[in-house]
Amino acid sequence: MKPTARFTVFFSLIAIAILGVHVMATGPGFSVAAQENKPLPLAKTNYVLGDEIDAYARFIMSGGPPPDGIPSIDKPRFVSAAESRLEAGEPVIGLYHDGEARAYPHRIMVQHEIVNDRIGGLNVAVTYCPLTATAQGFKRGGTTLGVSGQLLNSNLVMFDWSSRSYFSQINATGLTGPDRGRTLDEVRLVWTTWERWRTLHPDTRVLSEHTGYLRNYARDPYGSYNPLRGYYAQDQTIFPLTHESNRYGKKAMVLGARTATRSAFFVMADLAMARVQTTDNFLAVYDSGLDTGYIYVREGNKALPVAQDDGRYEYAGTLHSADALPLTQPVAVEAFHFAWHAFYPQSESP
Amino acid sequence: MNAPSATVKTVASPARTLLAILRMRTYRRLAASVSLFYLILFMVALQDISLGGTGFQVLTTDWSRAFDRTGTFTFEPIAQLTVPGVTMLLSPINFTIGAILSLLVGLNLMVTYIAFKQPRACGFNRSTGILASLPALLAGSACCAPVIILILGLQLSSLMVAAFQVLIPVSGMLLLLTLSLILKRTNPDLIVGFQETGFFAHFFRQRRVDDSD
Repeated sequence: MKPTARFTVFFSLIAIAILGVHVMATGPGFSVAAQENKPLPLAKTNYVLGDEIDAYARFIMSGGPPPDGIPSIDKPRFVSAAESRLEAGEPVIGLYHDGEARAYPHRIMVQHEIVNDRIGGLNVAVTYCPLTATAQGFKRGGTTLGVSGQLLNSNLVMFDWSSRSYFSQINATGLTGPDRGRTLDEVRLVWTTWERWRTLHPDTRVLSEHTGYLRNYARDPYGSYNPLRGYYAQDQTIFPLTHESNRYGKKAMVLGARTATRSAFFVMADLAMARVQTTDNFLAVYDSGLDTGYIYVREGNKALPVAQDDGRYEYAGTLHSADALPLTQPVAVEAFHFAWHAFYPQSESP
Repeated sequence: MNAPSATVKTVASPARTLLAILRMRTYRRLAASVSLFYLILFMVALQDISLGGTGFQVLTTDWSRAFDRTGTFTFEPIAQLTVPGVTMLLSPINFTIGAILSLLVGLNLMVTYIAFKQPRACGFNRSTGILASLPALLAGSACCAPVIILILGLQLSSLMVAAFQVLIPVSGMLLLLTLSLILKRTNPDLIVGFQETGFFAHFFRQRRVDDSD
């Protein structure tokens, strides 16, 4: 064989090898996603939406990874608080249900985004989107949720392995498939620090780094929350948004909630200072223990809660912790302001 | 008259020219250094090598996961080595793709350097030689672009995301193409040893073309 021919054959083989590997390695994708048809629990009433579902569906774009390219943790393992090596100021996502407390370290969640867990007899998907700083829990019944690799307003688009529907995380709503337009049954998660969570729940279990996947959990590819730097500190976004606002910093943390007809948000730094804030139809109170807040639906012109020195609130003649006022409490979500505004541009605010 | 001209096409095949160049230790070292540097850069950009991690640890997982995709052309690791401060993930397919691209980048920069320093041997002028290195730069962006986007916080369009997903194969093909084109126009008999004034002369010993080892 002539040298020229050898040269061509050699490099052609390399090209074919690259292509072959790519074709072989199609990843788990939807083709092998066939699981038992176990329905996903849905909310009785759908959340209000900022835009039509069709508009959302058209705005979905690839974030880069293929379906399940960011693998969810489906067999989570836990360690005790004493066994965990978390630092005091490290962010964690907390879940408390039926007497059990779980902490999901941010350092792990940023690499997997979804943990399909079971706590206190409840099957729940603990979800987190690094680009929008949103941690949200969803009842999952017998199915599991996965990361689609698609984004809507920079926000995580999840898929249900059983129905193959796409769900937007922030508005908890089906975007495609049989559950299109339906709202997931949401569970409140708390975005706080390990020190605060452990103080409130010393018996908490902590998600182990033995996730079944190999990752460098000591490093956050997006930046850092403690100290604040990288993507989390920049007043810029990476992906296009349906609605934009310059009223607050893009990465200012807000606490938002929505009902069937309305939505509202409160800037966390302002709420921490005021402790009680209101809009026309909502009120929010600050929880100094966990550095979070709770949102309630206001009832007419009733008197507002009054903050007490011990962190509790006096309302209707009795004292209550921040999370237990005798009012309707929609599930609240902490998020970057840009993300909340992109989904709920009509939101009420103080 | 059949006397060879400095600017006419070489009669040697690209493979023979490449082998002739690689027989010179100076150029071989240049290509190897660039390839190694790019491979490390590629693995850092893919976060297969990253800062962070405590203690010494070796972890492995199910090898069949090596074929699970984490991106269009990136794959799951099956082994992890942690030393204090640095974590390395071994994804066999990422490593193979990185090694092939690195080799091509190294060879491209090697022949580009020759084209720049010795345009006579390559049958075109210096600027053309430098232009030939552009695909190598594009190949560099194949691994680094998403990281740079994240660091700078630039806004991405769906078209750019789609483009990033094919950067690796496209840059691989371009590198093959330019390597082949430059080699076809290079006459190995006209390549002389390392020039004293060359940038890399500070790092490598001067050698002549016939000083093979």
